[in-house]
Amino acid sequence: MTTAPGKPKPDTTPLTQPYWQAAAEKRFVIQRCRACRHWIHFPEPACPACAGTDLAYEPVSGRGTVETFTVIERSFVPGFNAGGPYAVAWIGLPEQAGLRVLGNVTGCPPEEVHIGMAVEVWFEERAGFGLMPNFRKAG
Amino acid sequence: MAARQSFSGKAAIVGVGYTDFSRDSGRSVLHLALEAIGKAVADAGLERHAIDGLLSYAINDSVPVATVARALGLSRYRWHADYAGGGSLSASILTSAAMAIEAGLAETIVVYRALNGRTGKRMGQIGAGAGDGSEAQFVNPYGMLGPVHMFAMTAQRYMYERDLKPAHLAELAVLQRSKAVDNPKALLRQPITVDDYFAAPSIASPLRRFDCCLETDGACALIVTTAERAKGLVARPVTIHAGVRAGGRGAGMPDKAGDDLRTIFSHYVAPALYDAAGMVPGDFDIAGFYDAYSFLLLNQLEDFGFCTPGEVGGIVTSGRIGMTGDLPVNTGGGMLCEGYVHGLNNIVETVEQLQGKAGVRQVKNATTALCTGFGGAYGSALVLTAER
Repeated sequence: MTTAPGKPKPDTTPLTQPYWQAAAEKRFVIQRCRACRHWIHFPEPACPACAGTDLAYEPVSGRGTVETFTVIERSFVPGFNAGGPYAVAWIGLPEQAGLRVLGNVTGCPPEEVHIGMAVEVWFEERAGFGLMPNFRKAG
Repeated sequence: MAARQSFSGKAAIVGVGYTDFSRDSGRSVLHLALEAIGKAVADAGLERHAIDGLLSYAINDSVPVATVARALGLSRYRWHADYAGGGSLSASILTSAAMAIEAGLAETIVVYRALNGRTGKRMGQIGAGAGDGSEAQFVNPYGMLGPVHMFAMTAQRYMYERDLKPAHLAELAVLQRSKAVDNPKALLRQPITVDDYFAAPSIASPLRRFDCCLETDGACALIVTTAERAKGLVARPVTIHAGVRAGGRGAGMPDKAGDDLRTIFSHYVAPALYDAAGMVPGDFDIAGFYDAYSFLLLNQLEDFGFCTPGEVGGIVTSGRIGMTGDLPVNTGGGMLCEGYVHGLNNIVETVEQLQGKAGVRQVKNATTALCTGFGGAYGSALVLTAER
């Protein structure tokens, strides 16, 4: 008997290594341009604001606000298809207007998720990978 | 109408052809393409050797134009291209044909889209692919996969900003399905009720099954030639009056969209289109709006200035976009009901209306039409006209 495939593991790239290394240490960081201080997510090879290439990962507060979301009831994604409905959300970070990350919203029933909801980062253990940032209803 | 584009009025559609739209064609993509093209050539009163140009678009799910040319037995041809892309191209590929014809690079171009979109590569199961692939690591682990999840979040935000409720989408889905009842091309022709809408599964909130376009196997083809040649070939050529592509930040790439988290292509395309065409919303008789998802119809109506943002909630009950309204939209039910040939079947339905070949669905005196192609925050629009 084969076990059902687990949830997808992040397919990391050299550019994003520091993001995942920080997550392994329970630190939530976002790429930032050293020249113009613009926060960048998803990470890029050059700053979208100033084209600078001196980029680093710096810590953010881990707080966020749901800007939009969807509740998925039937999923084609391995590991998610049997677990019941789940919420996926674009979460705006307070560190910069327009800075947003994608995550789940855990810690509450999916039907409670709404635009404007306060969330906070936590670190989920992903089988076969390690820790990854995710979000839950803010305490 | 004043037009500002060099190709305006220089090229016309003289024939359309299409396969049935099904959930299992039982044939290859090449076979589908050849069937649609053969029908389009016949509809134009031509022979296949009249074709000297070929244009198509695909997302690694179709057959290249050179392969089709070989199968058609064309011993030589001129302007030809395979565009990589999805529905954003459905309107602009006709513009590309008009440009090539006006430039003298070909005289009679076949435009086609062919795919086994249900039995082969299904759009609903591919990665969003909006970037170079590296963004998947920040998305897939959270159970997000494919355009429907992405645009469900766009819909959620749009509905929040416009104070739309699920009932608004339900009545829109019911209206559009009612138009498919009289459309022999449509896969889904049974009328639905609001109860049926809510009984069908939620796919990704707020999108339920009947908010999402079909996945089908099928092909569509159109023959475009010079305006002069068109006059001698068919009674009612459908003239390409204007066409544009435009885009910007927004839905589909929300990570870098700033305030434009839910902005769709029509926000950028509409002003470009009206400027190029020298037209205003009131000039149009019918529209073929890209309807991958129901809510896109409302968003496009607003972006193209057919109603104000405050009016989108009431547009269905107003009757304006129904078959007897002042702007019938997607007169055959669109991709929500007919089939999903990445927008080209909406162009075909629009052309049949302008040709006067829409049978029971015929909108009286339809002479001026707007068609669109959606790709998230970029896309295209096209103005087609016919003599009364």
